[in-house]
Amino acid sequence: MMGQDLHQDDSGPTIKVHVTQGESHVSSDPNVVMTTVLGSCIAACLRDPTTGIGGMNHFLLPDAGDGRRNNGDAVRYGAYAMELLINGLLKKGARRDRLEAKIFGGGKLFDGLSDVGASNAAFAERFLRDEGIPIVSSSTGGLSARRVEFWPATGRVRQRLVAVDNAPVEVRRPVPIVPAVSNAGDLELF
Amino acid sequence: MPQASSISVLVVDDQLTMRALIRNALQQIGFKDIREAPDGEEALKQLLAKPANLVISDFNMPKMDGLALLRAVRSHPPIRQTAFVMLTGRADRELVQRAVQFGVNNYCVKPFTVQGLRDKIEQVFGQLT
Repeated sequence: MMGQDLHQDDSGPTIKVHVTQGESHVSSDPNVVMTTVLGSCIAACLRDPTTGIGGMNHFLLPDAGDGRRNNGDAVRYGAYAMELLINGLLKKGARRDRLEAKIFGGGKLFDGLSDVGASNAAFAERFLRDEGIPIVSSSTGGLSARRVEFWPATGRVRQRLVAVDNAPVEVRRPVPIVPAVSNAGDLELF
Repeated sequence: MPQASSISVLVVDDQLTMRALIRNALQQIGFKDIREAPDGEEALKQLLAKPANLVISDFNMPKMDGLALLRAVRSHPPIRQTAFVMLTGRADRELVQRAVQFGVNNYCVKPFTVQGLRDKIEQVFGQLT
């Protein structure tokens, strides 16, 4: 579940919503700031600037960049993660044709044969391009982890780079959190 | 055993990426006659102009959602026999129950695998060749 942390600062009450891998959250509350910490994962911040409705997801494609296995399932999962966020925004009243995106993450935090972060970033960029959602700013790749804060009502984002050694272990070596696939439904029609 | 290549399919989803993924999965299964629509309204228009054997439809869509499309299909005699598979999210148990009331043939939970989608279609049509 998403962690919510109420605290007081100079600008008034702030509601912090921490978005961890596999989650997405949508809000238009000016007091809400969505936070996440990213290594090779991607967070997409989507927003309708007219209504001030915005949201963030946080995902890692399973087996992305691993040429030994079928990548189709990974892309299907990524498309699903994006769809969850977009549907959440539309349900709150955002309009699809006004959505704009900011994307973060996709870093390469340790040496390996494949660059999982780059595959994740490439997926997010391609998805948004195909869906006609403009990317108004992005920070992807690199060798650091990222701490990202997103204010959905204004669209403001603050990013801080975090040295790999200071990043939580789940950020340094994330394991994809993938919902059960295919026959996951528990209603028997046959 | 029905041949997948002889079954015409209409894929209905508002996301281009998802339509492309479903099309790709259907092609892997052996389907050849695959059409697409971005929402229920356009899908209904297409079906009335040229019926399909199978509709695979998302639920959340602008203009006309998947449930409204299902109801519309079942209320138009020329196309009411169309096989209808709904794509749903994990948390949509209630939606599936409503879809069953309206005559859905099967449902498939996103994100799905190619084999998972094939299983769902074969539960409707029988084993495909």
